Amino acid sequence: MLRMLVRRDLQRQYTTFRLGYLWTLLEPLGMAAVLWFVFSVLLGARSFGLSPYLLFIVLGVLPWWWFLKGMRASTKVFRRARGELIFSLLPTQIWILRVIISSGIEFVLSLPILIIAMAITQSIPGPLIVLFPVAMVMQFIAMYGLALIIAPAVALTPDLGRTVRIVLRSLFYFTPILYTLGRIPEVLQNVAAINPLVGVFGLYRIGWWPDEAIPPSALVVSVASTLVIVVIGVIVFHRLEPRVLKEA
Amino acid sequence: MARIRIEPNLESAVDFRHVSLALPKRKRRQGGGRRQRLRRLAGETRREEFAAVTDASFTVHPGESVLVLGARSAHRRALLRLAAGTVLPDSGTVERRFLWVPMIDLARTLGRGFTVRHNIYLLGGLLGMTPDQVAEFVADIADSAGLASKLDRHLGQAPASVRQKLAWTTAMATNAQAFAIDEVLAVGEPAFRAQCFAHIAELRSRGVTFLVASEAPRQLDAHFDRSLYIDDESRIHALDVDGGIERMRAARRALRSDEDPQDSEDDN
Repeated sequence: MLRMLVRRDLQRQYTTFRLGYLWTLLEPLGMAAVLWFVFSVLLGARSFGLSPYLLFIVLGVLPWWWFLKGMRASTKVFRRARGELIFSLLPTQIWILRVIISSGIEFVLSLPILIIAMAITQSIPGPLIVLFPVAMVMQFIAMYGLALIIAPAVALTPDLGRTVRIVLRSLFYFTPILYTLGRIPEVLQNVAAINPLVGVFGLYRIGWWPDEAIPPSALVVSVASTLVIVVIGVIVFHRLEPRVLKEA
Repeated sequence: MARIRIEPNLESAVDFRHVSLALPKRKRRQGGGRRQRLRRLAGETRREEFAAVTDASFTVHPGESVLVLGARSAHRRALLRLAAGTVLPDSGTVERRFLWVPMIDLARTLGRGFTVRHNIYLLGGLLGMTPDQVAEFVADIADSAGLASKLDRHLGQAPASVRQKLAWTTAMATNAQAFAIDEVLAVGEPAFRAQCFAHIAELRSRGVTFLVASEAPRQLDAHFDRSLYIDDESRIHALDVDGGIERMRAARRALRSDEDPQDSEDDN
């Protein structure tokens, strides 16, 4: 069932626009190119990140894109599914899983960009690349936990949708996408790692930069905070679900 | 992690005990958008609610078919959703012996951009069928909706009556032991309606349980054992079919002569 809902999302995505699948590549590619150009060529700020900076940026932008799309979509799930909620006999969580998986599949489909970036910079990852799928799983779990809180909250108080968008925008800068965690003061590193994305991005990058990608203590904090978020998400969702159903 | 709880040992098909439910009012533009926004700024996050069902206690036995009446469609629909479990009561308990398939506005969710086949799978899935079960019926469903030759074409701008048929036949294919039907019988072509009645009659003889909410119950009375009437105070009265219909007509007349029909709702 979930598979069908996801297919429906992707089908809509790929049949509405003439360029279809190309958009999956072009959107993050464009963003990565702009960021790379501004920070690397214009500002000469390569030292914020790790070299090769182009690869570093791509490894930040692609998963960020998944996160952004999934979270944005989660603010709209229940409004979109209003008609279905009236009669659907399936668990309500399915609507949330749906948007996260749809955007996740788009993320996987955008991975050719990563291969191109690897080819351009001629960098081969080390054995820790096996942690790449682990990063995906962790990102999925973190997104699911967050969406369990955001989706019902926005459904009940639409104003929160705006708030979520602002938070997402600032989160882009609070997350080590353009820089590494090592660039911020050491005392703040573990505080910053409360953001689960810190751990997620560290794990994505660890295959290329085994030593610099993320300090182990920050990773531990991130994993712990991911688990806390999921627990909170499950509790919040359980409490808000009856009210979400009433809105249908 | 199925959401709907079922008690297989329950004797009745569905059992309401002191059930109350308030639902948020549909947003109506009152005093313009600005006033609403100001109210929200002032900290009012909860929308106004109306009592849909108040302290309802009743039982529907397996094999019974019960007409749900009441002057307001929101009340009737709330009762059906409570029975099926797609909305949870604020207080009280609803227990059911088996899955109730809610047939409420099904046609609205059929997607234009998708094939007939895809739509059937999706709707069937939402109503609890597994893909294998749908696969068994998909040809039959399309056939009885008159879409057999268009199974792999987009639903497109199919007329409402076709969508209605598609939704109806898909829901019926669930082979459920109980259905909660809203309004489906009030619309559609006469021929199809007759077909629906025949279908209901056949299922009734096999012991299937029905809760049917209707706006125009006149042509239905032969198919039902009794009725539940929801009055304006959202209280439920168990009546026979004629008594329920009579009461509904009276309430309608009163409503029509009312100057502002919204007033009585706001009093709740």
